[in-house]
Amino acid sequence: MSRSPQALLERRYARLGLLLIAPTIVVFCAVIVYPLLAAIYLSLFQLYTPTLEGSFVGISNYRDLLARGEFWISLRNTLVWTVGTLSLQIVLGIGMALMLHQAVWFRSLARSLILFPYFVSTVVAVLVWRWLFNDLYGILNHMLIGSGVVDMPVDYLGSMPNAMISMILVGAWKYFPFVVIAVLARLQTIPDALYEAARIDGAGPIARFFDVTLPQLRDVLVVIILLRAIWDFKEFDLIFLLTGGGPVISTQTLPLLVYKEAFALNQMGMAAAYAVVMMAIMLVFMIVYIRQTREKEAS
Amino acid sequence: MHNHHDIGGAHSRRTLLKALVAGAAIGSLPLRTRAQRAELRWWTPQGAPAQLDAYRFQIAAFEALHPGVTVVLEPLSDEGYAPQLAAAFSSGQVPDVVTHLPSFSVQSYYAKGLVEPFDDVIEAIGPDDFYPGANDVFRAADGRHVACGIGNSAVNILWLRTDIMQRVGLERAPETWDEFRDALQKLQGRGIYGTALPYGRNTATSLVFIGFIHGAGGQVFTPDLEVAIDSEATRNALEFYREIRDFSPIGATNYSWGEGLTAFVSGATATGLYTGRVLANVNDQNPRLSDHITCALWPTMTRDIPPWTFNDFPSVFIPAQSGNKDLARRLAAFLFEPEGYIRQLHAAPGHVLPVLQSIGEDPRYRDNAIIRKYRKETDLMAQAAANGFNLGYESSAHRSNEKAGEVIASGAIADMVQRVVLNRENVDRVLADTTRAIAAVMAR
Repeated sequence: MSRSPQALLERRYARLGLLLIAPTIVVFCAVIVYPLLAAIYLSLFQLYTPTLEGSFVGISNYRDLLARGEFWISLRNTLVWTVGTLSLQIVLGIGMALMLHQAVWFRSLARSLILFPYFVSTVVAVLVWRWLFNDLYGILNHMLIGSGVVDMPVDYLGSMPNAMISMILVGAWKYFPFVVIAVLARLQTIPDALYEAARIDGAGPIARFFDVTLPQLRDVLVVIILLRAIWDFKEFDLIFLLTGGGPVISTQTLPLLVYKEAFALNQMGMAAAYAVVMMAIMLVFMIVYIRQTREKEAS
Repeated sequence: MHNHHDIGGAHSRRTLLKALVAGAAIGSLPLRTRAQRAELRWWTPQGAPAQLDAYRFQIAAFEALHPGVTVVLEPLSDEGYAPQLAAAFSSGQVPDVVTHLPSFSVQSYYAKGLVEPFDDVIEAIGPDDFYPGANDVFRAADGRHVACGIGNSAVNILWLRTDIMQRVGLERAPETWDEFRDALQKLQGRGIYGTALPYGRNTATSLVFIGFIHGAGGQVFTPDLEVAIDSEATRNALEFYREIRDFSPIGATNYSWGEGLTAFVSGATATGLYTGRVLANVNDQNPRLSDHITCALWPTMTRDIPPWTFNDFPSVFIPAQSGNKDLARRLAAFLFEPEGYIRQLHAAPGHVLPVLQSIGEDPRYRDNAIIRKYRKETDLMAQAAANGFNLGYESSAHRSNEKAGEVIASGAIADMVQRVVLNRENVDRVLADTTRAIAAVMAR
């Protein structure tokens, strides 16, 4: 039975399609699937980090971690940190973007300068903040004492809730420029006609913000919140350098716990289990968030 | 004028030549890679600028002696070396020579087959030249040496401001905890804190507090390495550490080694706990205090408890995965060549003390402005360090503890201090938790 020329052509196109998509699949497998499967595989072993030698323990790492109070405290800390810093980043970011959208003097310079915290290395930023927070030489304590607000220096990083608040503030300062860039870009594409129409309808500045600006920013905010939530949830360097997770484990987040297991206690298997659980938690949150956003859009 | 500055600068042809001649003497070690292109990586957590200058001098001399060989110096942080080494070992990207790590860390790695036996390097340096017993702490269960000391260090030395002592009528350094508390009460005031002890969640707090447990007559492990931290001595140490909390700056809850050192050197505190690095730092950074400091052994709870000096026994060792072991051995031995070794010691006079008798007696070593000026203090530290211990070697009766590094890295002891001192949690419950946490590390 002879094949029709059209079928042959289609088959050839299909093969070409596979060939063209193959590099993407290979790269995807190499950078996403393999590390993911490797992490899950490692999490089923008890492994000594420096040698990566150990024994198969099945799901016992998962049982252990779920039974540990430290895991639940670290999860709570991670959520407090993520929600706290993300909320501040959004509020500050939108506020600053609105300001920079106005015709203010030195607008171009201000738009460039606002990016500074985002571009500066985290290590440098944390060192500067640690110096500002320093109890003996820090400018913040110096100003507070000088102005008579407090008699004794404030312990910003060594006691609770100060340590968590300081961490959230520094995180917000470091990452809010990302929100500014994204929101500012969107603000510039909102048609002026919408604001004109709102003005004609008698809407004041606040009503215009809630009825015109915010709905127009909705799409970009969904993406910003999604991305920043992922990044903040797995933030390591800023927290590690600022408080080290202390006092005790009051600011220890899940990434710090993974690090502690992997490189301080040399338990790579347990660290991988924590990492897998972290990923699962993030996945659940993201699915819920995206679903709710879609439902709101649909309604 | 500081002698270590004089020699820490550019390398003169004469001194480089001397180093070359001495280095040539380390010919007893095998060298399969002669005239071969190779790169050696050298890791150290001791990276003060003057020390880096001294290392660079040694590297230049070694490279001149071994054409085609390049030595790359990679400084680590005191708090971060354990994770960095764990990552290096697991990835196979190890350094070829590691210096200045505490003895207990090396024992942990050797027990897992990650460190090369070091006996032939000790043989090349000259085993009889080491101070008696200097390398006992590096002897493994199989009888071989896992490393050797590159220096001695008396870590928990009590530093005092003599001018403030004089002002408040303190005639001598406190020797007991009661005397220390009384002294802090007198010394604190006029904007100056009594002391600056670490209360942070870090290794400094763990290591310092182990000294307090011993200062109360206790121990973390029995000589057979059973966990013994849940004791009356630890309770007393915790209570005392809590009592004197208010004599440290408020930010001490986040202090590690550096912050405590800076607080004393800057004049913010009347006493401090640190090694002999205080001497160089005061002379360099705050010379107005240079005539008003002295040191003493850290006080103990009562006079009948002898002082326990924490010596981390800074080491030099070779990772087993090094791709250039023969060259690494030669470099390790070369680091003890007098010209370069004295430069190393002078880079932090009193901080890293010599382990070789010939160096301790060498007039070139003695000829240093700081060592001359603070002879009493450096002699005291040398003597204390020679009789010092650490968690891997708590007393001469203790077995070597291969898990000591992981116990410190686990943060169990720092957590205990923070829970009792800062959170004021129930001591019995905290001690029971700490015992469990340490036992879990030991059982792994």
